[in-house]
Amino acid sequence: MRHQGFTLLALTLVAIGCGAPEPGDAPAVAPATHDAKLSVYVVNYPLAYFAERIGGDLVDVDFPAPPDGDPAFWVPDADRVAAYQGADLILLNGAGYAGWVDRVTLPPSRLVNTSMSFKDRYVVSEDAVVHSHGPEGEHDHGDTAFTTWLDPTLAIEHAAAIRDAFAAARPEHEAVFAGGFESLKTDLLELDASLEQVTAGQAQTPVLGSHPVYQYLSRRYELNLRSVHFEPDEDPDAKGWQALDEILSEHPARWMLWEAEPLATTAEKLEGRGVASVVFDPCGNVPEEGDFLTVMQRNLSNLERVLAGP
Amino acid sequence: MRQTLYLAARYLAFHRIKTAILITSITLILYLPVGLRVLVAQSSERLTARAMATPLIVGAKGSPLELVLNSLYFGSDVPEKMRYAESIRIADSGLALAIPMYTRFHSQGHPIVGTGFEYFRFRGLQVESGRQIAMLGECVLGSRVAATLGVGPGDSVVSSPENVFDLAGVYPLKMHVVGILAYSDSPDDDAIFVDLKTAWVIEGLGHGHQDLSAPEAASTVLSREGGKVTANASVVQYTEITPQNIDSFHFHGDLSGNPVTAVIAVPPDQKASAILQGRYQGEGEKAQIAHPVTVMDELLDTILTVQSFVVAGAIVVGAATLASAALVFMLSLRLRRREIETLFKIGGSRRAVGTVMVSEIVAVLLAGVILAAGLTFLTSQFGSVVIRALIRM
Repeated sequence: MRHQGFTLLALTLVAIGCGAPEPGDAPAVAPATHDAKLSVYVVNYPLAYFAERIGGDLVDVDFPAPPDGDPAFWVPDADRVAAYQGADLILLNGAGYAGWVDRVTLPPSRLVNTSMSFKDRYVVSEDAVVHSHGPEGEHDHGDTAFTTWLDPTLAIEHAAAIRDAFAAARPEHEAVFAGGFESLKTDLLELDASLEQVTAGQAQTPVLGSHPVYQYLSRRYELNLRSVHFEPDEDPDAKGWQALDEILSEHPARWMLWEAEPLATTAEKLEGRGVASVVFDPCGNVPEEGDFLTVMQRNLSNLERVLAGP
Repeated sequence: MRQTLYLAARYLAFHRIKTAILITSITLILYLPVGLRVLVAQSSERLTARAMATPLIVGAKGSPLELVLNSLYFGSDVPEKMRYAESIRIADSGLALAIPMYTRFHSQGHPIVGTGFEYFRFRGLQVESGRQIAMLGECVLGSRVAATLGVGPGDSVVSSPENVFDLAGVYPLKMHVVGILAYSDSPDDDAIFVDLKTAWVIEGLGHGHQDLSAPEAASTVLSREGGKVTANASVVQYTEITPQNIDSFHFHGDLSGNPVTAVIAVPPDQKASAILQGRYQGEGEKAQIAHPVTVMDELLDTILTVQSFVVAGAIVVGAATLASAALVFMLSLRLRRREIETLFKIGGSRRAVGTVMVSEIVAVLLAGVILAAGLTFLTSQFGSVVIRALIRM
């Protein structure tokens, strides 16, 4: 016992040096009262939509990101973090979405990574920059694709994780949550079937993505997709067009998926290269009109229109 | 009778030094064992109370006493580290709320406790001024730390290097004080609390550095091959986390492999507690689970053994002192033979003279008992406070 000497000293010091137990020294965290609505905070709109569909009136869903940005890259301030800290459940997308989660203090017991069940099916970018410096050696900063919900079958897994988390927090309402989930699942399966039908036979067709956000969509529906880094509200610079031309020389795509309607000038320049613009909104943030499903239906219609073209 | 007591009182007052010595001796004889018992009983109760408020502690295999003392009081040697995965494992089991702790670092002599948000709720700690930690690099201070260092919300504290000669080791991190906890009369008052991830940043497991693709970082880049950038050790790493650079902070690899010193496990009921404890009984298990109350009871048994020796010694010394006091009284009677004879000659009866002598002895004994009782009462009220203050001086 190498600490016998220490022990004798410590026991004396500790015995007389320790303080009185504070009133809050109760062994367990106070049991939750179940009469209030379940307070749920989320990191993107699809999760908010799924949570509302599953929880209905039994949950209070908050998505505090501003409506005009991409929630994936939004960073909440301390007050917003405090609001997250006060939630009963915090629904995370996983797959590296909302990197701010690693840089703030949130209660781990209330965090729910809704993509944990398909962690092994994340799409990892092959062009991630790897670098090394210092004693820890080579590492990269993670380039996992995170728009997981664009694959409706994965969206169903997100929803199942939400259902389970709700049921664990409010077991007395398990049947309600199960009902909400089944209804949502039906809708998502219908969407999946429609997308499958629309994209059937397009496996060899080259497609462009204006941004690398369609990885899960292209994997699910076997699209031959390559991405550039064009913003819908910006006219790409010469380098951007050059990069596009290089891609087109080996990947003769006829249409490009956009997160939002591109500038008319950009669309014209694309037309000039024989590339049609198709809006496929990932719907990471609250849509101006409708909800997640209506946006996806609109995306579906847009795809149908292009694929049914001459 | 009044005259008799008057004579006894006058005698004691006249021989005030001898009287004071006798009273002091008797007071100490009575007070030492009783006061020590009161102090130990009081401390034991407090010690057990904090242990009882902490159902289970999981840590790497090693000394359970070290694990419990470090986790409850942040004071002993740092126990062996284990992986954060253990905390995730407990949480995923659904058998207990898992509160990870990492208590390796210090700032100006005060322990930096890296933990989860649940710790504050678990211990009932309230933020008195400022706010709770929210962002990486922030800290809240125990009330005594704030008073000692004279800092408050808006100020900052810097983590201390573990070894002044470790020039290439852990970078000191400047942490922003965002809140002061309300006084809780517990070891939490003496600690600096940060998020577990901030503790990992202090350790160097997470860091922020300049963008290696930026032109100003060109001098640090040794090579660029495709998507692989190799930089030398002169890459500027940030020693303070600010809103401007927080986005550059990142962790390498899986966080579950990062270290913690302990995990406080809070099972919802006895059944879950028993199942959880059973899971750590396997031979191949690398972690141990400690029941703080049991560990502290064992510690207290040791304290009580030491105390018994002290009390036994005090009793022996007390007996010797009482014998000496009796001798003093007997010798005093011999020295006062002429005085006693004078009392007889002026008409004092044997009974009256005897009463004077007995009154003197009873008065001295009574004064000693009263003083010892008073000291014992004061000890029960303020003993531990005074000793804690002396320890901190």
